[in-house]
Amino acid sequence: MTITIALPSKGRMKDDASAIFERAGMKIVAVGNDRSYRGRVEGWDDVEIAFLSASEISRELGNGSIDFGVTGEDLVREGLANADARVEFCARLGFGHADVVVAVPEIWYDVDTMADLGDVAADFRARHGRRLAIATKYWRLTQNHFSGSHGIQLYHIVESLGATEGAPASGSADIIVDITSTGSTLHANHLKTLADGVILRSEACLVRARKPAHDGDPIVGRILSAVRDAL
Amino acid sequence: MPLINLPAFSADLLAEFESLGTLRVDTPVIQPAEPFLAMAGEDLRRRIFMTESETGESLCLRPEFTIPVCLRHIETATGTPKRYAYLGEVFRQRREGGNEFYQAGIEDLGDTDIAASDARAVGNAMRVVANRLPGRRLAVTLGDQSVFEAVVGACGLPGGWQKRLIHAFGDQKHLQKLLAELADPKAAGVFGPEVERLAIAGMLDDEVRLVAHIGETMEATGYSTNASRSPQDIARRLKEKMELANTRLDPETLDLVREFLALDMPLAEAPAALFRFAEKTGLTLDGALARFDARVAALAGIGADVDVIRYRAAFGRPLDYYTGLVFEVEVEGTPAVLAGGGRFDRLLTLLGAREHIPAVGFSLWLDRIEAAIAASGGAA
Repeated sequence: MTITIALPSKGRMKDDASAIFERAGMKIVAVGNDRSYRGRVEGWDDVEIAFLSASEISRELGNGSIDFGVTGEDLVREGLANADARVEFCARLGFGHADVVVAVPEIWYDVDTMADLGDVAADFRARHGRRLAIATKYWRLTQNHFSGSHGIQLYHIVESLGATEGAPASGSADIIVDITSTGSTLHANHLKTLADGVILRSEACLVRARKPAHDGDPIVGRILSAVRDAL
Repeated sequence: MPLINLPAFSADLLAEFESLGTLRVDTPVIQPAEPFLAMAGEDLRRRIFMTESETGESLCLRPEFTIPVCLRHIETATGTPKRYAYLGEVFRQRREGGNEFYQAGIEDLGDTDIAASDARAVGNAMRVVANRLPGRRLAVTLGDQSVFEAVVGACGLPGGWQKRLIHAFGDQKHLQKLLAELADPKAAGVFGPEVERLAIAGMLDDEVRLVAHIGETMEATGYSTNASRSPQDIARRLKEKMELANTRLDPETLDLVREFLALDMPLAEAPAALFRFAEKTGLTLDGALARFDARVAALAGIGADVDVIRYRAAFGRPLDYYTGLVFEVEVEGTPAVLAGGGRFDRLLTLLGAREHIPAVGFSLWLDRIEAAIAASGGAA
């Protein structure tokens, strides 16, 4: 059967992913011109390459329309419920590092842990007449971390699709859950990460959709060992 | 017009509710989502069915009746006391069982005789379940958060710790974790480097200077001092946190709290056992115990079968509007909760009522009662 591997369609992620596949002996060539969204692997006739956006790759892995994908762990865990049952994280690729963190204003001198935040959240409605507001695009990861891991229920998620770090200063939210790689954007916005506020240490991963057809398929095994050997 | 999927005993149940002196109310199936999320927390979002109105308002299919019945009471402003009954479909995303099922129940709003209205809620719930399942022995579990609050208060813990423990009541795992933290001196509070600088500058002992400093820093960094937590809020909780970090629970007190949480006995024996516990430990629990005893007496007074009720000290619901009594009704030897209820004195003011309205109620899981009837071989 033909195996489809989805790679990020642009930017650093695309270049870094292509480089790893090349080191693995799977040189990727675009079908047609350079801008094409389809590709193939030289010498691997039963492998197809699809160039998709990183968040589409997580979605397509979830519904099984592709076999492998290279994308950030954060996008997969945010996009799919029960991610580990539906996909397998086969290899961590060493690029695209980003931590999903809980960050609060630096001036909150009394808040350095999730337990502190739990105290603040429990009291928030009584003091301010509304729930603690969290700006984020990571609904699922936030709910798992707050409700699942730390027993914090009384908060309100304000969806934020960009410039999330600015939300506390502008007053549209009290705290944020966002990705950070160096922490410099957080710092510039006078935010600090909580001591136990790292929800996920994400990086680009080779992810496989769990499909029964993969069992015993020799190509699946060959792709896995080729990529792992190149790391 | 009766719906075709109504449980067969619905008419009997409604007649019984009426004979109990309640007023039947209906509430729309489509409800604003905000009150449910605000009361139960963001996690509820995954378990209800949400949609949006054309204007962007978040709506949901009614996931339960208590909040809609209370909102309706506040809107109609017809005064208290009121005893409302309901029967209708609710909608929740469940792992097991259907996503739409019937619930019925009674909400008793505004009765200031706490013991009597508590006893009536438990007694009525037991009676309507027993009448659907003649010949089956019930098993009722009863808990009371206000006794736990009294125990924690009498232990002399600082306010911050009391709040944490009470907030976790009903969530065994979380509560045990907090108790372990209280006992273990290693788990000190985490403070940032900025707090050390404040300490060196002598600001931590001078609240006025601290508040001014926080206010100036917020101004300088572009944070509005009125949009979120104020400088006073932060300074006050910083002080509370230092207390939290400096508090250790001595092993004796910790044992005592654990001993209390392990109490599990027939309700009839509970008043004497709680009295002995207070006497032995030297804790002053008089008010809470008097109210507990009054409720037990009231239950006996209305002829409820007290023998099938157990008191479990750790039993509670981790929702902050439950304030005292909680209970569940099962058939003895089976795990399904057929009725659940409790006292929620804080809910109506949280929902916008202007005056304090004491409230207690229960709801019946009609699908589970149907299953129990089928299991006992009876006709529904």
